[in-house]
Amino acid sequence: MNGQERVNRMFARQDHDRVPRFEQLWKETLVRWQGEDFEGDLNDFLDLLDSDFHRLSMNWPAIYSGASSVIEKDDFHKGEYLVIEEDDETHVLRDPFGATVRLWKNKSGTPEHLGFECKTPEVWYQRFKPKLIENGNQMNLEKIKEDYAIGRRAGRWCFLAGVETFEFLRAIIGDEVGLMAMIEEPEWIQDISRTFTDMLLMNFEAGLEIGIEPDGLWIFGDMAYNHSTVCSPKMYRELIWPDHKRLVDWAHEHGMKFIYHTDGNINNVLDLYVEAGFDCLQPLEAKAGMDVRKLCPIYGDRLAFLGNINAQLMATNDVDALEEEIATKFAAGKAAQNYAFHSDHSVPPQVSWQTYQEIIRLVDKYGSY
Amino acid sequence: MSFLLSLEEAVKQGNRNSAVSSVEDALSAKLPPQDILDALVKGMDDVGRRFKANAIFVPEVLIAARAMKESMAILEPVLVAAGIQPEYTAVIGTVTGDLHDIGKNLVGMMWRGANFKVIDLGTNVPPEKFAEAVVTHKPDIVGLSALLTTTMPNMKITVEAIRKTSDSRVKIVLGGAPVTQDYADEIGADGYASDAASAVDLVRKLIAS
Repeated sequence: MNGQERVNRMFARQDHDRVPRFEQLWKETLVRWQGEDFEGDLNDFLDLLDSDFHRLSMNWPAIYSGASSVIEKDDFHKGEYLVIEEDDETHVLRDPFGATVRLWKNKSGTPEHLGFECKTPEVWYQRFKPKLIENGNQMNLEKIKEDYAIGRRAGRWCFLAGVETFEFLRAIIGDEVGLMAMIEEPEWIQDISRTFTDMLLMNFEAGLEIGIEPDGLWIFGDMAYNHSTVCSPKMYRELIWPDHKRLVDWAHEHGMKFIYHTDGNINNVLDLYVEAGFDCLQPLEAKAGMDVRKLCPIYGDRLAFLGNINAQLMATNDVDALEEEIATKFAAGKAAQNYAFHSDHSVPPQVSWQTYQEIIRLVDKYGSY
Repeated sequence: MSFLLSLEEAVKQGNRNSAVSSVEDALSAKLPPQDILDALVKGMDDVGRRFKANAIFVPEVLIAARAMKESMAILEPVLVAAGIQPEYTAVIGTVTGDLHDIGKNLVGMMWRGANFKVIDLGTNVPPEKFAEAVVTHKPDIVGLSALLTTTMPNMKITVEAIRKTSDSRVKIVLGGAPVTQDYADEIGADGYASDAASAVDLVRKLIAS
């Protein structure tokens, strides 16, 4: 059974040989492991893990985009970065979304948002919206084609990836303006959401036109934190959910499953996810109160779960505690046949390579059906 | 409805125009500035309670905090002239190595809403800068924020640096996605708050004790 078959069978709640696997690491984690006795890059790590999933680049339509990147960033941050000032550790940049951000030069981390060009509906309607539409397709189709060929050769479950409205709002107008506008200017938020989702779908369509047949669509967007969702379920249902549903419907129309990534405590919107037709949730942060042992018996027939293995627990390097974590969560997931292994975040650099090898051993031990 | 009741209601609803005009009306009516301040704080306390109970969410808190802030801009000179001081002084910042600011800003807003004087040191703040701020401002509270598991250990060295200052009175509280009460206990902080509204309750409880 290869990865594609295994994950498809998990989505169908049909018998499969073992729990499917995937993982994401901080850059610093890989560097640490390379300094220990791990040899290779991220792809070698995924081979060693025997990963079942394979990502095909990332789709994040931006305002300032093009070939004149000043600073090389991740796939989904491609675009124009203008350096405004810098010191030894950080640089202040105008990013591809017109935000002024402070970023670390040589390490990963969340940016500090210092300001936004798009602060009002007028700027959105007059400058940003036309520019976003004018930019058209921003997907690197050659890269997707290449990634797809690699994924298929490896027999993995290949997915298109992109971000959604919450992430775009955060990037383009910031949390404070965006969240307040949800109450005071809901039509503006709906227009941003609709326009951005239109662009996403146009880009994904272009991706399919090169002749690939992905198995899934994985959409990234953080709409919650430890305490709860950032906005009420009602507000989510009215303003953003319709565009989430459009993404789900598009995926289903093209024979793909839909995976949604959000950090935080999302217990209050699970029924809305089911109503929209989400197939799978990731990463299910344990520290925010998400727990597949509770979720599988309730939602196991309607939602699959990818993740929930506590990254903070991994960071303690306490293998006995990790064994309890993996054994009990795998048992719940296997009972519903709807579960795939992943940390509940990205693996942080406090986790030694020795510990992660123990984790792989435990995933082997408890993952078999 | 009286000016004070309508002010309290305006803050609860996050209606900044109504809040500002209520403050102006209350001042014109020569109401005691302390009573006006109490109405604002009462409104924000209600916002905090409902936020903790998941009856309202971050957008509602943000517009309430903005109504409070704009009201305070009018009221503050009057309070100063009357010799009325903020209840407590707090220093807040994100620890060294971490540029995240949303959680810190939200806690700062809630503390201001509770009539604390807040000195915001910003993000990526080295331990010695927190220690200097404690010496300079003599706060009742220092709030440390960290988003990342990688930067959380910097809270420990920051707590140690603050404890080395001569101000043994200051209470240190922690917040941020990876932080727990156990971690706060482990590194010798005085408390941990899981959300911005709880951070207000925590400070009041710590200082009262």
